[in-house]
Amino acid sequence: MSVVAQRGLAVVAIAVVAVLAYGTGARGAAESVRNPDTLIILTYGDPQSLDPAYAYDTASEGVIWPGIYETLITYDGSVLSRYVPRLATTVPTLQNGLISKDGLTYTFPIRQGVHFHDGTVMTPEDVRYSMLRFMLQDRDGGPSWLLLTPLLGTDSTRTKGAVTVQYADAAKAVTVEGQDVVFHLKHPYAAFLSILAAWSFVLPEKWAAAHGDWDGTAATWTKYNNPKLQDRYEFDHTNGTGPFMLQTWDRQAKEEILVRNDHYWRAPAKLARVVIRTVTEFPARQLQLQRGDADAIAVDRPDQSKVTGMAGVTVQDGYPALVIQVFHFNQKIDVAGNPDVGSGKLDGNGIPPDFFSDVHVRRGFAYAFDYGTFIRDGYRGKALQPNGPIIQGLLGYDPSLPKYTFDRQKAIAEFKEAWGGKLWDTGFHFTETYNTGNAVRQIGAQIVKDDVESLNPKFHIDIRNIQFSSFLQLTVQHKGTLYALGWAVDYPDPDDFAQPFLASNGQYPKQNGFSDPHVDQLVKQAAETADPARRAQIYRELTKFAYDNVLAIYAAQPTNFVVMRSWVHGWYYNAVLPPLANVGFDFYTMSKQ
Amino acid sequence: MSRFIARRLLLLPFVALGVTALIFSLLQLLTPAMRASLYITDPKQLNALPDIIRKYHLDQPVYVQYWEWLRQVLHGDLGWSETAREPVLTAIRGYFPATFELALYSFACILVLGIWLGTLSAVQKDKIVDHLSRSTSISGASLPTFVWGLVLLMVFYGHFGWFPPGRLGLDADLFVRSPQFHPYTGLLTIDALLNGQWWLLWDALRHLVLPVATLTYFITATLVRITRSSMLETLRADYVRTAEAKGLPRDVVVDKHARRNALIPVITLAGLLFVGLLSGVVITETVFNWPGIGRWGVTASQQLDIPAVTGFALIFAGMLVLGNLCADVLYAVVDPRIRLQ
Repeated sequence: MSVVAQRGLAVVAIAVVAVLAYGTGARGAAESVRNPDTLIILTYGDPQSLDPAYAYDTASEGVIWPGIYETLITYDGSVLSRYVPRLATTVPTLQNGLISKDGLTYTFPIRQGVHFHDGTVMTPEDVRYSMLRFMLQDRDGGPSWLLLTPLLGTDSTRTKGAVTVQYADAAKAVTVEGQDVVFHLKHPYAAFLSILAAWSFVLPEKWAAAHGDWDGTAATWTKYNNPKLQDRYEFDHTNGTGPFMLQTWDRQAKEEILVRNDHYWRAPAKLARVVIRTVTEFPARQLQLQRGDADAIAVDRPDQSKVTGMAGVTVQDGYPALVIQVFHFNQKIDVAGNPDVGSGKLDGNGIPPDFFSDVHVRRGFAYAFDYGTFIRDGYRGKALQPNGPIIQGLLGYDPSLPKYTFDRQKAIAEFKEAWGGKLWDTGFHFTETYNTGNAVRQIGAQIVKDDVESLNPKFHIDIRNIQFSSFLQLTVQHKGTLYALGWAVDYPDPDDFAQPFLASNGQYPKQNGFSDPHVDQLVKQAAETADPARRAQIYRELTKFAYDNVLAIYAAQPTNFVVMRSWVHGWYYNAVLPPLANVGFDFYTMSKQ
Repeated sequence: MSRFIARRLLLLPFVALGVTALIFSLLQLLTPAMRASLYITDPKQLNALPDIIRKYHLDQPVYVQYWEWLRQVLHGDLGWSETAREPVLTAIRGYFPATFELALYSFACILVLGIWLGTLSAVQKDKIVDHLSRSTSISGASLPTFVWGLVLLMVFYGHFGWFPPGRLGLDADLFVRSPQFHPYTGLLTIDALLNGQWWLLWDALRHLVLPVATLTYFITATLVRITRSSMLETLRADYVRTAEAKGLPRDVVVDKHARRNALIPVITLAGLLFVGLLSGVVITETVFNWPGIGRWGVTASQQLDIPAVTGFALIFAGMLVLGNLCADVLYAVVDPRIRLQ
């Protein structure tokens, strides 16, 4: 290339950059509200499905609820024990007679004059259809069990792949009586309102059927049972009653745009638009928040210091999350082909399948775990130590109940009693696992290893990190030894935690080989009792049981924080709203000024 | 020439089949439970694992699964991608324009800069220009892309606010989703021109500056080195000395005689570079939140999204073959000796 051409090219390049830069301009620190009618949230997970009967992940639910789809009742702001009506006109109670005295019937008077986003009017039949659809669609690993369990007494419509539920039973469980929708429970269930407040989404029956979905009849429902992700129109099309409508779900750009519903049955929202965008890299999220191109971003705890003190940004901290981090003991390990159990015997080179069935072993680990260090290093000190599966914020939580503390002497004493005194002399060797990329669980695993090994030179623990896919396989096949898995709230009732952690048919007892009929009885009693005081007492008893029997190391209940531009107003913390950017958002109450 | 091209094109389906069969087989080494994790988003769904395996036929023999997949492909269906949340073909069609646009602008800059700097370095061998050029290209090759990308982002967006991440700003993004905008090519800069929206063109170009600069800095190094060594070799040739002895100006000798011959190996490399860019530059796409195919490809691999991975492999095996073919044809166009062979 000639010298003249080279110089010409350089001049053009400089000119282009200058024009582009002039067109943008740098921003000063004192700036007016950017995009005043649009809220922009940057998160790091994208939705799986916008179908309220399919979605069971926070990224999906955060888009659809409570912005697009509404529920019959909902929580009163931040207060999870108090409800306000939404698509129903009244919250059922025993006092107003809308809950029957035997606790088996819940009547919801349905609001009139509510329109779906397509303009059609919501009817009680739409509500009934939506509830039945939610139950009967029942995709693998989906949320249908939440209504199936209280209404039909089963957590699935299928057994080993075959449909076992009768439509007639479902049809009897949800009925329409005039302008009311009535739920008929199989057993009294004190948490039923709590479930409906988070999961009773309503969509129009005719619209669904017109787009290839179930037509609401007995003859066809099995055809629509257990769909694949893409099988339903509702996967990427919405038609709710909420203050926002879906404009776009761009799966390449990983962006969802909601626009205001100007025909909302309450006053229209203040925001005209909400943009939810997936940005996986923290620096990009941070910079966009800093420039004002984003209003709220997802921030991991270790990165919190990078946004604290940022001009024009507020950080609100200390909100207890209804989440628990737990290290599980597998009391019936499948040792066949299991690389994590060593010799598979209590000979110092391995552990037997029932190694953790000895309560002294479990207690030894529980006393040997440094909870303070785990919370300090894993959560930057922003977590609470639970005393069992019933965590702070739930009915029945009692901070006065005992919890394990880091106590080396007690740990040694327990290990010396374990296995009739044999363990201390023999020692053991096993591998604990955690899923790759989970820094908190890695810290916890290291603490277990360091603290336990320091007690006795014959105690050996290796740590193995494995891909999530392998980790799941391991736990389901009962090959896990000591492993970390948490639990996040489905509905803010202690049964949502008691059942999966303590009941024999709960997720973790099934995986970890634990079963106790007395505990099952207590869990059932607490779930069915309407009296809050009695329920609280039973949950205290269950917490004490979990403490005495050390079913797991209940390591941490994290607290949440939110990072937003200071021009965002109207946000309130609700621990049940699906977290989009650390916390959930009710876009209806929010504005920018 | 046409026979040569036809022969290469006939190989294409076999290459594609071989690549996909290999990937499919390797993925089958993972157990059904591990492959089922693609469909699980929360540990609460663990109990459904056996049912999920059954539902998606993950426990079928590998040849049965592959044959099912092949049958779909022959009907133009590459299957459903759980990670993209849409059919594989739709996802590729959606992601590809973004990657193509980034690749096109980056490639143009890489080619121009690489050839220019390489030529300059060779002509000014061992002078300051040569040293500067080589150190710049070495630093480009040595510095990790994500570091360079983040530095550019922090300075030019974080501090100056000039060049934001992503593909478009909010107003532009809303406009391209409106009925007033017609997407002809999927390349936003071209579509902006075709729609007569200059402000949209500027917005799209602004968002391209940093990722293009990152890729250019990173990849130009290789082209500079090849061009330089090829030019040096050519400048030592007898015919170049003859041209200089005849009194031709240095510029004319370099531009008209030496460079054309020196570009022959560069063409081969350039072809491969472009195909490499098209397969997606994951780190750049991730740093700048660019909705390209590379980022999706990595996510699909990590989550064992088999239809996506095999569909991806199929498309890019084809592109690689075609890319190499184009390079070979271009090679023949540039060098008559190759044509005769």
